[in-house]
Amino acid sequence: MIADNLKLDGKLAIITGAGRGLGRAMAMGLAGAGADLVAAARTVEQLEETAAEVRKLGRKCLVVPTDVARSEDVSAMVAAAVKEFGQVDVLINNAGAGEDSFGKTIDQISDEEWRRGIDINLSSQFFGCRAVIPQMLKQKRGKIINVASGYGLRGGKHNYMYACSKGAVLQLTRSMALTYADFNIQTNCIVPGIFPHNERLMAFFKGGKFIPMGRGGEDADVGPLAIFLSSEASNHINGALIKIDGGGLAGGITPTGVAPQPTT
Amino acid sequence: MALPQGLNDFTLADKAALVIGAEHPAGRIAAVTLAEAGARLMIASQEPATDEQLKETVKLVQATGAKAAPVTQVQNAAIRADVRATLDNAVKRLGGLDVMVTALDAPYYAPAEEGDDAIFDRVMERNVKSVWMACQEGARAMRRRGGSIVVMSSVLAERGVPGASLYCAAKAAVANLVRALALEWARQNIRINLLEAGWMTEEGSPAVANDEFAANLLKYLPYKRLVTPEELAGALLYLASPASGFVTGEAIAIDGGLLCRV
Repeated sequence: MIADNLKLDGKLAIITGAGRGLGRAMAMGLAGAGADLVAAARTVEQLEETAAEVRKLGRKCLVVPTDVARSEDVSAMVAAAVKEFGQVDVLINNAGAGEDSFGKTIDQISDEEWRRGIDINLSSQFFGCRAVIPQMLKQKRGKIINVASGYGLRGGKHNYMYACSKGAVLQLTRSMALTYADFNIQTNCIVPGIFPHNERLMAFFKGGKFIPMGRGGEDADVGPLAIFLSSEASNHINGALIKIDGGGLAGGITPTGVAPQPTT
Repeated sequence: MALPQGLNDFTLADKAALVIGAEHPAGRIAAVTLAEAGARLMIASQEPATDEQLKETVKLVQATGAKAAPVTQVQNAAIRADVRATLDNAVKRLGGLDVMVTALDAPYYAPAEEGDDAIFDRVMERNVKSVWMACQEGARAMRRRGGSIVVMSSVLAERGVPGASLYCAAKAAVANLVRALALEWARQNIRINLLEAGWMTEEGSPAVANDEFAANLLKYLPYKRLVTPEELAGALLYLASPASGFVTGEAIAIDGGLLCRV
């Protein structure tokens, strides 16, 4: 039965960046499908809000304050999950930042900004993969879901750290997928298109009207994809980049589907 | 039949669904999966004179506990009049159409030198034109309330395979057909996506031949084994159902990671 394969009862998922946005939506999706959670991010107040919502669904949720750009934090996050639950079935490397950095010209970006941009979006996901693999090898099963962006597949004007780090996340996904295919560990990547999380981005992207489906993504759109990739229904899907973008990336060589560019 | 709460986005309860190519293993698993998710079904064939094969699919669907037996239509998916009649009948019998799955496939493996113009026409007709016609007629049937189309295809759309040039070209044509149609129909609330199966356990495929190619292929596959039809079910339901409501023009490969390889 397909329903039995989609259910996540008895599974434990770690989600980084779980305090808001896509991370919270994925947390709610997975909890609804039966998973217990470890919610990680820097801002504890937001994590507690997510945890409260998850517990309302009758699932457990451990809050672990984590700066994903620090490898020792990420290792401690995985250790806390193993200590509390004894297993890690799913890791969703979702935390990231940098949509707000679009628009700075190349000469305006300092060494420190470059490194921070790469660390928060790319090193963080590498740290997550590295930290969780020993436990998943021990279990002989696991699902790693990296979250990239349409800017990982296409360039953008004045878009450096974000596009470079997200593009590298796709390659991290592919190499992990091939390396651990033999060990029943699947690594896949969710590629969100335009999800305008704040008013500034909503204004910049003009409400998403240029997107083929005529709207930007809403956080809840991503929940079912996270469920599917966390479940046994996706066991033969590995190294896949699954776009959720209202059709934007299917086009792009005609004006329909072309994202606005910064005017700097 | 319904899915448990929490998986509501994956449900097709009371949705009208049509599977074309339901005499094949891929079409069969599509029919069974859609029925399990609660859809009311019509199943149509790719080839004429497939009554017995469709009956077998009906049995498999009924074994899921589906409320009603699927409506069946034996047709030739390469003939316009047949496809149009099938879609008209689907709308009439099911009261509209919300989901259409095409499992249309005519493998052709041979060195380029062996193919003549008649073979070219045949491969394109049965791998590309049939999908094109089903999508045209399917979208016409969905125009009023929108819907979701899933085109079942192969990873051959994404890479070259020696000794399969025409077949590769046909599959790539289907892949880009899906992208363009997705853009064209997005504002009409018709989503269309592609499902790309890796090397499968199917009769006639060089992957199951007892020869050097098959032996080497198995070693090359990330999972060291072929894909079974059952393994297509999850992605099929994800793409067919509201779970993928913001996804169109996308391709999901079920290949164990094969497309990641050099």
